[in-house]
Amino acid sequence: MKYDTIIIGGGLAGLVSGILLQERGQRTAIISTGQGALHFSSGSLGLLACDATGKPVEKPLEHISTLGASHPYSKVGAEKTAIHARNAKALLERAGVSVVGNEASNHYYLTPIGLFKPAWLSTVDSAVSLTPDGAKWGKTAIAGIKGFLDFYPGFVADNLARAGLKCDVVEITTPELEHMRKNSTEMRAPGIARIMHGDALVRFAKAISDAAPAAETVIIPAVVGVDGQEAVNELRRITGKKIICLSTHPISVQGVRMQLALRRYYEKIGGTYLLGDNVTAGYMEGDRLVAIDTANLGHGSLKADNFILATGSFFSRGLVAEPDRIFEPVFGVDVVTEGKPHDWYKDNLFEAQPFVEFGVKTDAGFRVSKDGKTISNLYAVGSILGGCNSLKEGSGAGVAIVTAMEVAGLLAPEKKG
Amino acid sequence: MLRNSGGIKTKANRIRGSRLGISCNELKDHFVMTNSIKPPKRYDVVIIGAGATGAGTARDCAMRGLKVLLVERLDFTAGATGRNHGLLHSGARYAVTDGESATECIKENMTLRRIAAHCVEETGGLFVTLPEDSLEYQKTFVESCQRAGINAEVIDPAEALRMEPAVNPDIIGAVKVPDGAVDPFRLTTANALAARQNGADILTYHEVVDFIRSGNRICGVVLRDHHTGELTRVECDIVVNAAGIWGQRIVEMAGAKINMFPAKGALLIFGHRVNNVVINRCRKPADADILVPGDTISLIGTTSSRIPYDQIDNMTVTPEEVDVLLREGIKIAPALAYTRILRAYAGVRPLIASDDDPSGRSISRGIVCLDHAVRDGIEGFVTISGGKLMTYRLMAEWAADMVCKKLGIEGKKCQTAEIPLPGSESKEEGDAHSRKHHIIDMSTDQKAAEGRHGTLSSEIATSDVDDALVCECEAVSVGEVNFAIDKLHVNNLINLRRRTRMGMGTCQGGLCACRAASILGDRLNCQQKALYDLASFVNERWKGMKPVAWGQTLVEAQFTSWLYEGMCGLDRYQHNEQGNNQ
Amino acid sequence: MEYQVKNISANDFEQCIKCTICTVYCPVAAVNTAYPGPKQAGPDGERYRLKNPDFYNNALKYCLNCKRCEVSCPNNVRIGDIIQTARIRYDKSSPKLRDRLLASTDFMGSCATKMAPVVNLMLGLAPVKATMHGVLGIDKHRTFPKYSGKTFEKWMRTKAPDQSGFKNNVAYFHGCYVNYNYPQLGKDLVTVLNAVGYGVHLLEKERCCGVAKISNRLIDSAKADAELNIASIRKAVNQGMPVIGASSTCIFTMRDEYPHLLGVDNADVRDSISLATVFLYNLIDSGKIKLAFKPGFHTRVTYHTPCHMQKLGWGIYSSSLIRMIPGVEFEPIDSLCCGIAGTYGFKKENYPYSQAIGKELFDQIARAGVDYVVTDCETCKWQIEMSTGMRVLNPISLLAMALDVEATKKLNNVH
Repeated sequence: MKYDTIIIGGGLAGLVSGILLQERGQRTAIISTGQGALHFSSGSLGLLACDATGKPVEKPLEHISTLGASHPYSKVGAEKTAIHARNAKALLERAGVSVVGNEASNHYYLTPIGLFKPAWLSTVDSAVSLTPDGAKWGKTAIAGIKGFLDFYPGFVADNLARAGLKCDVVEITTPELEHMRKNSTEMRAPGIARIMHGDALVRFAKAISDAAPAAETVIIPAVVGVDGQEAVNELRRITGKKIICLSTHPISVQGVRMQLALRRYYEKIGGTYLLGDNVTAGYMEGDRLVAIDTANLGHGSLKADNFILATGSFFSRGLVAEPDRIFEPVFGVDVVTEGKPHDWYKDNLFEAQPFVEFGVKTDAGFRVSKDGKTISNLYAVGSILGGCNSLKEGSGAGVAIVTAMEVAGLLAPEKKG
Repeated sequence: MLRNSGGIKTKANRIRGSRLGISCNELKDHFVMTNSIKPPKRYDVVIIGAGATGAGTARDCAMRGLKVLLVERLDFTAGATGRNHGLLHSGARYAVTDGESATECIKENMTLRRIAAHCVEETGGLFVTLPEDSLEYQKTFVESCQRAGINAEVIDPAEALRMEPAVNPDIIGAVKVPDGAVDPFRLTTANALAARQNGADILTYHEVVDFIRSGNRICGVVLRDHHTGELTRVECDIVVNAAGIWGQRIVEMAGAKINMFPAKGALLIFGHRVNNVVINRCRKPADADILVPGDTISLIGTTSSRIPYDQIDNMTVTPEEVDVLLREGIKIAPALAYTRILRAYAGVRPLIASDDDPSGRSISRGIVCLDHAVRDGIEGFVTISGGKLMTYRLMAEWAADMVCKKLGIEGKKCQTAEIPLPGSESKEEGDAHSRKHHIIDMSTDQKAAEGRHGTLSSEIATSDVDDALVCECEAVSVGEVNFAIDKLHVNNLINLRRRTRMGMGTCQGGLCACRAASILGDRLNCQQKALYDLASFVNERWKGMKPVAWGQTLVEAQFTSWLYEGMCGLDRYQHNEQGNNQ
Repeated sequence: MEYQVKNISANDFEQCIKCTICTVYCPVAAVNTAYPGPKQAGPDGERYRLKNPDFYNNALKYCLNCKRCEVSCPNNVRIGDIIQTARIRYDKSSPKLRDRLLASTDFMGSCATKMAPVVNLMLGLAPVKATMHGVLGIDKHRTFPKYSGKTFEKWMRTKAPDQSGFKNNVAYFHGCYVNYNYPQLGKDLVTVLNAVGYGVHLLEKERCCGVAKISNRLIDSAKADAELNIASIRKAVNQGMPVIGASSTCIFTMRDEYPHLLGVDNADVRDSISLATVFLYNLIDSGKIKLAFKPGFHTRVTYHTPCHMQKLGWGIYSSSLIRMIPGVEFEPIDSLCCGIAGTYGFKKENYPYSQAIGKELFDQIARAGVDYVVTDCETCKWQIEMSTGMRVLNPISLLAMALDVEATKKLNNVH
């Protein structure tokens, strides 16, 4: 099978590059080992939430010009980063992901433990606020679900009260939810969301209204609308309240929704998404990668003009750590690390961990190299890039989207008009 | 061995007079909520240190009718008890070098199987001879075992491999011994529970900061509450120092001197059971020659290195230690080369200089029970130390004997070797039969909880909501968490981990810690404390993962920081940590 | 350090980092509260079972072995294999008579074929269904696929001389369904392959691939069948013939379940066992063959990705092949489990779950508004036909319908 571009990795960066290339007339395929890290996204994406010291950033674009040379944004350039960031919202909307927010100034989202963190774009059902105090929510209640363990009303209420918003805490249940709790392990947010339609959704809405009749805003765990936004809208319509969904831990319904929507859109516009497959070998001709093997499709069956490596960081096995080395497992391309293994990890987990900043080595055009020689048609995008502490900065999603857009632009420039 | 029986100067009638005017139940409930005691604060005996020895001594003294207070500066098993191998020694390990210890071990081994059934797993053990080791040693070893009364049976290496397929197939010799696994957390908790059932009071997170004295007599302690900083005076007739390596400071506080040599031992925890039979290397005791199956995991250890006394609270495992543990461990069980390592940890063995050696270099390997009245002229003060986890009960017996003798109590015999610990009471025949019948339909958490709490597991609430799993790796339900909070002295996540294994599994707290913290926050009615506790717990887990941060263990750590820092923003709780929650 | 460079464990169970992604995609846990879900039944439970086999839990029988957990796992943990291995290793109870009957497709098939009209009539009668439901525990809603009066093998033997004149040849693993119930699919395959210049040959001996026996824990019997199949396949491969089949489940079982669950080594021939659509697609893609289609052929279809097809990762081949047919209007739907899982959905206790699992798929099919549902698995076909009333075709049959045989022969120089 021959494609214009083959993308290895089916998370946010891979899907964004695939969508753009496909939209611009390329024939592309995405190969993904399994489901990606978007499943753990809070539903709020960060462009640059904090500076390197962890201090919240209000105007991310202004801050981007101050970043170091190794930062992916610096490689893209502050000006182009701003353009890509501006285009991201429309791309998400095209894929059916409705978001609020903009690149000029951060808003705040409420975290599962009730803190406010800066964000760039948030799904419209997220618990967001322009100020870190939920000031515009009015009379607010927090509705936990009986027996559901991945929502922490106590933490949320206490921290909101500290931010100046006193909330009532109520507990609700419905026959469907009680039935689900018969299972000691599988009452999980995405599972609940799968049954939350039709009568079950109506009963859920009624339970919310009954438990918090006076509240204008009700904070619920994000257990509605795994397939799309409609169920949340329906809930808002029935209750007549502003229902805001707090992402849960570890799997977030908003994250799954985003992943599903992006993938469906990508496939709808003709992209090939190969899930559950692994690239096992690559074949070079001169300085070009010409074909790859996958575990499922066998020898040399996938050929392309260009390849994009969007395999993520350690979690998605974009990088692999052994006791004394860190490497890129698909092609063995060059990786930038610093110091000896004992320098890679700090004692305090919450300190800036050096290993987070490791990534593959690229030239100015995001092309990777092997044994010091640039591979002329293999590009890297997303968190495999390293060069920044995306965890501290809250820039993981931004780096994924911006670099994917940048590389897509290199491979298939946007048509004017 | 030092068994110092000093002079007895206490009047028996004072003991009777020191009864508290409130019932045990009242006290127990009161304790659970506040971790404090009601005045009048007066006891027959205050025991310092809630490791196995301290808890065992509290149990023994309480069973003999004494009014007991057990105080611990941190949590049960926070010291050496919680940081060892969990090996139910047959004594074979000591047979060649220390026959006396070996004899004690095998005796206590048999006792623990009887009284602590739910803390013990009867795995059996092997001593295997590698091609690079000499079979000569096996001969000496078997003879020494027989002398010590340990049933050591030479078996064919092929038979050993059948017994335990994880054993290195190249072994040239094998000896079967009655080793097993013992869970030190459960064992200590059970002893503390037994003490409480017999009327003892228990204070955790209370440190002895001074003694109350009258002349050359110690007649009480001043306690500092780690959480509130509050000081409390407690009067008593005798103080028993069971603080392990930290006991040196207690002795110094009393105005005497004891020389302890901290020996650090590092161990590695593998992600799952590699072996189901204890594997020992049949050679002179050396690094990494014991692989013990402990609950869901396997443990290789240990190393042994002397460290300066001022480093005893600062245990980190070095890359060199990890390297030697793996290099040597692989020789007895090759699978260790490619089995995921969950974490590394180190504990401190308290080695004590013999009193009869003025140089302080000669180490006593056995139990040390000191009456400081005889040794140092300090009345009302006893130190119990040395020994090992295996001999904790015997140490407790000696300490309690000494206490009784000093208090002039006669006719109160030690019963700790006969009466089973709470949770280990034998079950009805019918029960066992019907259990066998239903076992295939029992859920993992039911079976796991029964394994952890023995007969006490019947006190764990069950309902759809109670059965929900908080910790999925170790199958700890909401009911079990609440049971631990209500009954097992839990007021933070580390306590909960030690009582239930919550957070000890593959994800090292990634999924469960937040759920558990939320329950604790609600139950203790302090959300901010619970969040600080959560941050500290997650970081404590990382501390053990860091020395082995590669492969999936690093992935796990990255995933955990995504969830807790990236998604939740828990990093804001890292500063200004409240107290020491170890 | 030369050690700890990777983790090796049975079915990669310790690669699991407890991310819980698999639980999102388990079709069973979504509908059956008695099932602990893939994570708990799989890698979590495995740690306990390694400690003590008593930790085996009977609820693992609800796993329908769809492997969708494995497909979704970002760490390549073979979750489905962990669960099935546990069932095989730790469930010591003897399989029920019902399970033995359902699993013995060869035995049942060869008996039934001899008396096909009677058996078909009997199996359709209400009292018989009631008895099967009540006594055996085979759900009364199910209709057994009709038995053919003449097996495919018999037809092939009469047809065999036609197959000798080809330069290129393949061995065909037809499977029980084609042999006993639906020889037409086999005939379609012969038509298509002959048209592009390939002779089709039976294996020397063929038994059921074993999928039903594996899921009903008749492991010794499954293993004996597997060894016989692999020996026959090896012979064919040594004669230069690749082995193809038209059932994704048979092919998946022989490629992956044999080594993973039965311990039957197929490493030397695994790459030579393929699905007919994959085989054809690759020939077309590499320019070795060409297809010509009937002018004016028009139909609207969707493709249902069977779970084992999803696991194989080969849905792309079948759907691409279908899309090559000029007159086909293709309406994509999500890859979802239909709920039948072979014999699973026939069992009375599983029937409601089976239908609940399939509901989302049936709804999507209904919304697609197509003439045919195309799929590579025969049990998916039964389930979708029963549950939606739609006609379901194997891609090979669709190809045979659309193919201009004579024109294709000409294009490929076949005489």
